[in-house]
Amino acid sequence: MSKGLFVSIAALAMVSATQVGAQDADVGEKLYKKSCRSCHGPTAKGMASFPKLAGNTEDYLVERLNKYRAGEKVGPNTALMVPRAKNLSDDDITNIVTFIVSISP
Amino acid sequence: MSNRTKTWMVSCVVGTAMAAMPAFAQNTTSLKHTLVLEDLENPWDMAFLDDGTMFFTEKCKGLSVLMPSGDVNALLGMTGSSGYASTEDDLFCEGQAGMMGVAVDPDFANNRIIYVYSTSKKSDPHTNRLMRLKVGDDFKSVGDRTDIVDDVPYKMAASDHPFGGPGAHNGGRVRFNPADGYLYLTTGDNHNEEVPQSPTLMGSKVLRMNADGTAAADNTPPDGFDKRTYTYGHRNVQGIAFHPGTGTPITAEHGPWHSDEITVLVNGGNAGWDPRPNMAGRGDCPDGYCGYSPNQMDGMNRYERAAFMPMTDLETYPDAMPPIWDNDGWSQGTSSAAFLEGDAWGKWDGAMVVGIMGIGFGGTPLGQRIDVIELSEDGTEVVDVTEMTLPEGMEPGRFRSVVLGPDGSLYTAVDEGMIHKLTP
Repeated sequence: MSKGLFVSIAALAMVSATQVGAQDADVGEKLYKKSCRSCHGPTAKGMASFPKLAGNTEDYLVERLNKYRAGEKVGPNTALMVPRAKNLSDDDITNIVTFIVSISP
Repeated sequence: MSNRTKTWMVSCVVGTAMAAMPAFAQNTTSLKHTLVLEDLENPWDMAFLDDGTMFFTEKCKGLSVLMPSGDVNALLGMTGSSGYASTEDDLFCEGQAGMMGVAVDPDFANNRIIYVYSTSKKSDPHTNRLMRLKVGDDFKSVGDRTDIVDDVPYKMAASDHPFGGPGAHNGGRVRFNPADGYLYLTTGDNHNEEVPQSPTLMGSKVLRMNADGTAAADNTPPDGFDKRTYTYGHRNVQGIAFHPGTGTPITAEHGPWHSDEITVLVNGGNAGWDPRPNMAGRGDCPDGYCGYSPNQMDGMNRYERAAFMPMTDLETYPDAMPPIWDNDGWSQGTSSAAFLEGDAWGKWDGAMVVGIMGIGFGGTPLGQRIDVIELSEDGTEVVDVTEMTLPEGMEPGRFRSVVLGPDGSLYTAVDEGMIHKLTP
């Protein structure tokens, strides 16, 4: 196999992986269970002083997570959200939001 | 070594060497699990009649009753609720506030009275109120509302603190003590630094009252205090239970970013929470409340936090009631408390159970669980602590309420929207 072909296949594989990874509700569900569920609840309806996520738009949820990831102070639960968001990749955020939107009424 | 670690080690030894011998850290995966109700919205508390009839609250919806037949009757809705027999539009929810504790009058068979604690906008600023209600003969309605407590303060505006939205720290548990017959109500500090040590603001207190809301005659608060005060200087008490042998009230309480506590109450006692700035070695704090300081938005060593802003400040208040348990210095959302009773619980007959909701902040383990606390015979010391192993099919959750039912089973409400029953 030529070096050029190998690089092309590898690059294609990476692109495919990215495309598969992004907007993957199943992957998002796993991340949600790990990072979000204990406060926002199994169906993202919110619990106690942790707000409801289901029903919000994709753009809103992505924007919020991006702000938390950047360490911006957004609201009273910033202290809890920033540490959870800071290690999320763009794909992670997209997948989590895709899952939340998928279970929204 | 922590109590829980010790317990785990003891469990292993017992499990391998003395499997047949009963131990406090008993394996309870064999508990029978029944999902009593699901698809609720933030169920907060339950109260039972002897026949199993269960009143329950949902924080933003209202009061309902589960009948022994399995029927659920929606009794009293809050503003915006629908499907209830009646609604009271002054009752509302915001953040942690809403409809919270419920208790049944000991003489319910004759007077059909129950008590419900809820946030209300009847006053401005708004308050938390303890309502007395009469239940209809068919359990399909409630009426004759009388607000026997109308002055528990409510946090009206957001502040620069974690969980800093309106409605923070209302306490909320309502219980009768079978030993003295009095009605107890637990309250919280509203993120207001003046409330805990205030003689007249009724947040951060355990109120002990007659069934009409007047002060219990033998309360002995310090001079100048509201006579309903049984204890003061609390942070946010959501758990209270009464020792089955002595009747002594024991609270379970959220810590700030450290030190959940269990405290044996003393009539007139101070729980030692005082989050005011510019005292006890502290300077200014965000919006005048030091309750999460220092470094309130980031994780740090819990013992350093406790030294700066103690949950029970025994230096400033040497006579304060010392906690008998501090959750190994963690704050994990300790909420409610009850005592297990009955031979079926084995070694746990007489043990205290505490529901813990879980707060995974700044390196703190999430910790959603029910802890079983073995107390000394007189109920004044913790002998051992173990985590209840949950039966198959039941996941940990935000254990908001634990209540012993008339059938001897432990009922627990989780914020996720379920009420579970655990039967030994």
